[in-house]
Amino acid sequence: MNAVYAALNLIFIVLFAPLLDGIERKVKARLQSRQGPPLIQTWLDLLKLFRRPNVRPRESVRWLFEPAPAIALVSVLAASLFIPSLLPGSLDTWGDIIAFIYLSTLSAVAIALGAFSTGSPYAQIGSHREVSIIMAEEFSLAFIVAALAASSGGLSFSRLFPLQLKVSTITGALAFAVMAYVAGARIPFDVAEAEPEIVEGPFIEFSGKGLGMLKLSIYVKRLLLTTILLNFFLPQDGTVRVLVYVIGLVIISVVYASIEAHYGRFRTKDAARFLKRFAIVGILSWILGVVGW
Amino acid sequence: MVFDILKGCKILEHNDKMTVAEVGASNIREIARALFERGYYYSSGMGVDERPINGRFAMYHIFNCDTEGRYVVLKITSPEGSPEVPSITPVIKGAEWSEREAMDMLGIVFSGHPKPERLILPDDWPEGVYPLRKDFPYNKKLPPSKPIEKEREHKKDVMEIPLGPYHPSLHEPEYFELYVKGDKVVDAEYRGFHIHRGMEKLAESRMTINQIPFLAERICGICGCTHSAAYCQAVEDAAGIYVPERAQYIRTIMLEVERIHSHLLWFGVVCHLLGFDSGFMHIWRAREYIMDIAELITGNRKTYGINIVGGVRRDITEDKKEKTLKLLDMVEKESREVLDNIAEMKELRERMEGVGVLPKKEAREIGVVGPMARSSGIDTDVRRDHPYAAYKDLDFKVPVYKEGDVFARFLVRYEEIFESFNMIRQALENMPPGELINDEYEIPPFKLGIGVTEAPRGENIHAVITWGENMIYRWHPRAATYNNLPAVPIMLRGNDVADAPLIIASIDPCFSCTDHVSIIDSESGKILWRGPLKEGVRRV
Repeated sequence: MNAVYAALNLIFIVLFAPLLDGIERKVKARLQSRQGPPLIQTWLDLLKLFRRPNVRPRESVRWLFEPAPAIALVSVLAASLFIPSLLPGSLDTWGDIIAFIYLSTLSAVAIALGAFSTGSPYAQIGSHREVSIIMAEEFSLAFIVAALAASSGGLSFSRLFPLQLKVSTITGALAFAVMAYVAGARIPFDVAEAEPEIVEGPFIEFSGKGLGMLKLSIYVKRLLLTTILLNFFLPQDGTVRVLVYVIGLVIISVVYASIEAHYGRFRTKDAARFLKRFAIVGILSWILGVVGW
Repeated sequence: MVFDILKGCKILEHNDKMTVAEVGASNIREIARALFERGYYYSSGMGVDERPINGRFAMYHIFNCDTEGRYVVLKITSPEGSPEVPSITPVIKGAEWSEREAMDMLGIVFSGHPKPERLILPDDWPEGVYPLRKDFPYNKKLPPSKPIEKEREHKKDVMEIPLGPYHPSLHEPEYFELYVKGDKVVDAEYRGFHIHRGMEKLAESRMTINQIPFLAERICGICGCTHSAAYCQAVEDAAGIYVPERAQYIRTIMLEVERIHSHLLWFGVVCHLLGFDSGFMHIWRAREYIMDIAELITGNRKTYGINIVGGVRRDITEDKKEKTLKLLDMVEKESREVLDNIAEMKELRERMEGVGVLPKKEAREIGVVGPMARSSGIDTDVRRDHPYAAYKDLDFKVPVYKEGDVFARFLVRYEEIFESFNMIRQALENMPPGELINDEYEIPPFKLGIGVTEAPRGENIHAVITWGENMIYRWHPRAATYNNLPAVPIMLRGNDVADAPLIIASIDPCFSCTDHVSIIDSESGKILWRGPLKEGVRRV
């Protein structure tokens, strides 16, 4: 039973993540008074990439560069198995929120390492930025997770989902919503890619299937972060949940996309400064959680 | 008065617009220095091969003084049989590029030049071949050369980042080399002129006086009209051609339409570079209306083809005037809405304030023009200081800011476009009736003329030497970006890498203007693809 659930969840996530990006593109286009691409455009882009060969720069370190896209994709897909998405969680006894965060960070680190190995100056700067953002992000995330754990009495998903309604859990979940936005590398936090500045940074040397996998891993990561956020509030069983879950994904995506359309890109140091200040929200909700509010 | 400085020089020409003086090798540096101290800045330099006439090479240094409203041209000729003249770069920093250009194109040797390296010609161009000399046929093909593999010196303790030749934020092939420590730019170098089209040679060799305006218009895809207007004014200045007043008003209207369209384009690009794509899209939507105005008046959305020596080619009728005014209101309303929003966005302002500062002193030494100069505290505007077309009859303000950063440049352009809306309305209102073109003129032989326009990016100056017989002996267009680009390395130093594209874009660079160029594969005769259009598009 668990294996069937896991397979179904995986298929849903892989199929739906690019579609969600398509919806975001459409929303942004409408906000910019454009027609926008069709909803399945992101899927078409990915299929095109998967049909093309990989090209490896001569100067790159082969054993770092070649497996990087696969590691990035596999780690987010593995993380997806822990949390209930379309169907109840399949492997939730094997991992908790810490494991989830480590796996999703691993995907970012794999991209950064693969990019570092190419020797391209743009990739170097991009990876450098990616790592700075991860550092700043982890600092805030640690307190937010600690706050949620303190008020729910555990780190496992069975305890976290759904959250009990307390002041600390609500502030924690809201702070998590912001972190989901940041970790999804959306404007103004997409400093690592920043096409007009450093030409897609870490992705500059990747092509074909590799680039396709990297892009897919980002879409999956965005969907998973939203999934966790929704799970904080949704009931764990019932058929209504499936419907509400899918609608919730779309609504949060639309909200995120419209926020994205209203901002310009930060500089790396501004983004890091924002995240460090934001950690205060995490610390406060942690204190609230410890006090028992 | 300028005659105090030019004491002892032979005055070749003097009228209320310009003074031409022949200067000797012994005192040119002193005179140039004295002019600079008197408030004249280096505007342009034109090398001329005058050997068919007097057996010498000549260099025309054109200085602009906005307070006196006058151009001073220092002409220096080389001794007979030798191409050597003294360089003025040691005293006038702004002359560096013009002298290097004359070195490349004509083989004039500037003794004492601090950096006598190639500027325009590629590194693999054969030695001793000078394309702008009169004995070099315009259609000559050079034997294919091998690319030179130079061992590059690497700077210590810094990382080199190539910004270009193909970079998504430059939109044209141009190369900036940034030396970076951490996230800070410590030094920058520039190498351009990848896309030189040889327009001057083409015009001098096989085009007639009235064909060149259409070539001049193609110098730039954004501000072509100001180039053709400047060229026409140069010829009209040289030959003393009367231009009907109605034509002058129509020229003014089109120049201002072009300014609005170019500035709106710039605002959009800046938004895109700041990652704010919504702003980019909304501004370009407002820009559509101004393109509609251009189409209404000239029949073309860009590259209007309206100017011709002696007048303009199309009239603005009563009906068109009304439609234009209606469209104008729409552009003004929409662009004000979007731009006000952008100026109030805190995080966008933070990225522009204090970034890419150009101090006034350096700006003056390099001779930067247009919004660049005005944002660094230099009060200059060709439209006001050297009135041309109908600008003397119009009432407008020239915005000047002291900060010299990207945000000051933003504000200068912001105020400028709203001035332009008023200017178009005034011009449409006061346009006198009458002729559109005066085609009864004679072109005198071997006469110097200067035409200047204030392009959206700054002062464009076209110098022309006539040949009589419907031909041009020498045509030297100089676009505003040519004067503004040398300031970019100064502005980049000490800023973040993240800000580099923004700083480069803040001068509103127009590389192809600077190079007098464009890259079309069909021009080289090389066919990239033959087959169905649909498939070809996909392949390219």
